[in-house]
Amino acid sequence: MKLSQAFRMAFKSIWANKLRTALSMLGMLIGVATVIALVSMSEGSSRQVQSQVESLGAANMLQVTITGRGLTTSLTKEEALEFADIPNVEGVSPIVNGNATVKYGTTSESYTVEGITPEYESVREVGFVKGRYIVDLDNVNYSKVALIGANVATTLFESEDPLGKTIQLNGNRYLIVGILQTKGDSINGSADDKVLIPLTTAERLLQSNGVRSIYLKVDDMDKSEQVQALLEARLSAKFQNATNAYRVINQQEAMETVGSITQTMTSMMAGIALISLVVGGIGIMNIMLVSVTERTREIGIRKSLGAKRRDILLQFLVEAITISGLGGAFGIAIGYIASRIIGIVMSTETAVSLDMVWEAFAFSAGVGVIFGIFPANKAARLRPVDALRHD
Amino acid sequence: MSRADRAKLIEIEKLVKTYRMGQESMNVLHDVDLTVYQGEFVAIVGPSGSGKSTMMNIIGCLDIASSGSYKLDGVEVKGQSDNKLAAIRNQKIGFIFQGFQLLPKLTAIENVELPLIYRGLAGRERRARAEEALRTVGLDDRMHHRPSELSGGQQQRVAIARALAGEPPILLADEPTGALDTRTGQEVLALMENLHRNGHTIVLITHDMEVAERAERIVRMKDGVLTEDDSGRRNRREAVASIPNGV
Ligand SMILES: Nc1ncnc2c1ncn2[C@@H]1O[C@H](COP(=O)(O)OP(=O)(O)O)[C@@H](O)[C@H]1O
Ligand SMILES: [Mg+2]
Repeated sequence: MKLSQAFRMAFKSIWANKLRTALSMLGMLIGVATVIALVSMSEGSSRQVQSQVESLGAANMLQVTITGRGLTTSLTKEEALEFADIPNVEGVSPIVNGNATVKYGTTSESYTVEGITPEYESVREVGFVKGRYIVDLDNVNYSKVALIGANVATTLFESEDPLGKTIQLNGNRYLIVGILQTKGDSINGSADDKVLIPLTTAERLLQSNGVRSIYLKVDDMDKSEQVQALLEARLSAKFQNATNAYRVINQQEAMETVGSITQTMTSMMAGIALISLVVGGIGIMNIMLVSVTERTREIGIRKSLGAKRRDILLQFLVEAITISGLGGAFGIAIGYIASRIIGIVMSTETAVSLDMVWEAFAFSAGVGVIFGIFPANKAARLRPVDALRHD
Repeated sequence: MSRADRAKLIEIEKLVKTYRMGQESMNVLHDVDLTVYQGEFVAIVGPSGSGKSTMMNIIGCLDIASSGSYKLDGVEVKGQSDNKLAAIRNQKIGFIFQGFQLLPKLTAIENVELPLIYRGLAGRERRARAEEALRTVGLDDRMHHRPSELSGGQQQRVAIARALAGEPPILLADEPTGALDTRTGQEVLALMENLHRNGHTIVLITHDMEVAERAERIVRMKDGVLTEDDSGRRNRREAVASIPNGV
């Protein structure tokens, strides 16, 4: 008997017992729907977290924070820039930061002010949409120029064009030379809410001697640990082995940590849902066992007409797989709809990936094989005389 | 043409069937000998419980003898694997049961197609053969009816069509008229006589002497012992011999 024939037989029998089929696939359906809905939720939130982490900056970034020890609580700009000669370091962006009251006309607001060098643009990946960036000459000349984030612009200037206007930072007049690109949410605070000025000017404005925050861009992501080690060696030389005087944060590591947390969450949810799939499988097995007993005479008739063990086994196995596969398919559809509804009602992000759909379907069919084998084998092993006499 | 010239389809020698029930064992068939030649119409007649169905199950390879030898179409059945026995049933035997044994969820033609499915025939040829078999039993206008939509006589004719569809050398009928009223029973017997005239070898099992008389040859079963006198064969032998192109 061919496989296609076995499927045709299975569909015929399933169609002839619609109610029983519907009931026996119910467990599988609910199980798969739960898997899809749960995993879509955790996948959605994991994507959300992922995008937040990514907005911190690219994965190939190292962040040095200097907390200081004794008299040396910072590095000079020149010391910071020396890190550029560590192999595989593509760019170094030293930052002096603090808060300042920003005033234009009668509006004033407190914003994060960062004193930067031109490398900031490529290292932090914050571009500009209008005007120009901070250039080296600004630092040399202690120019009082500023780039402002998109939110700063709308708050202070509303619909006015900020370019060429003068704002006051803690009472000092700064000329706006550029507007920053919109970056969106970020755990570290978005560049949209920042004011960028030359590093040298910032040291004066914020009364900060030296640099406490340095970002390094690594040209090869795989080398970031190596770079980190070299960097830490230099820092420890500078701070005389006071390892708590500085901290190096590896963006890649941070992302991996967050990734592994969400991964764990997803697998946990999937695990819980898998249990319901197994329960669904046991439901199918029960129905199939009942079905084998009920259809003993049918099996006897088929055997008397020349059905081999293999044919009967195949017939019942295919039937179990078809029931569980159909249950899985309906479950996927219902789970998808449920995930959309959950997404709207709870206003969270949900995501159903094609991989997930395939895996859920394959798994439900697999459950059909595992839990169908026993009843199918029972049917196949019936002796024709006994089966024919059964009523 | 004498019997000896024809091929021996069934050769049973010293066949014993013992049922074991717990500690006790019960001999249902005692040293049965039976030879059936190609083209014969044999009736096995005997009272209920005499072992006829046991005999038919063994002839039909649904069950295996406890001892003795059984050759079907020249092949010893004993010791064959389950798969081989299934193949033998599929190719050599057409069963006609007392209770029809049709699958209720399938239409007439789907029922008739079953043995051909297990033989591995492709859809088109299978359908053609099944239609042909249903035509033989005069049911070509009921092909797409379920058994529940057919009368008892029609159901038995579907069962006969199913037995014929695979063109097996032997038709085995166990009380084929047992579930039918006298008139439809007569129709079914007439159909079987017709099949016999067309060259089919038939083994008919019945408790009813009147039914058995329709056969060409009668063997008697009593308490698991098979006996045969010549009287049963006499009246039919001439009839068979008189068929123009022989068998
Ligand atoms: N599977 C079995 N187990 C035990 N005894 C059986 C079995 N099948 C038949 N018998 C016994 O064998 C005897 C013959 O049965 P059977 O061949 O059905 O007779 P018949 O068909 O002539 O009425 C009966 O006594 C019956 O009880
Ligand atoms: Mg009987």
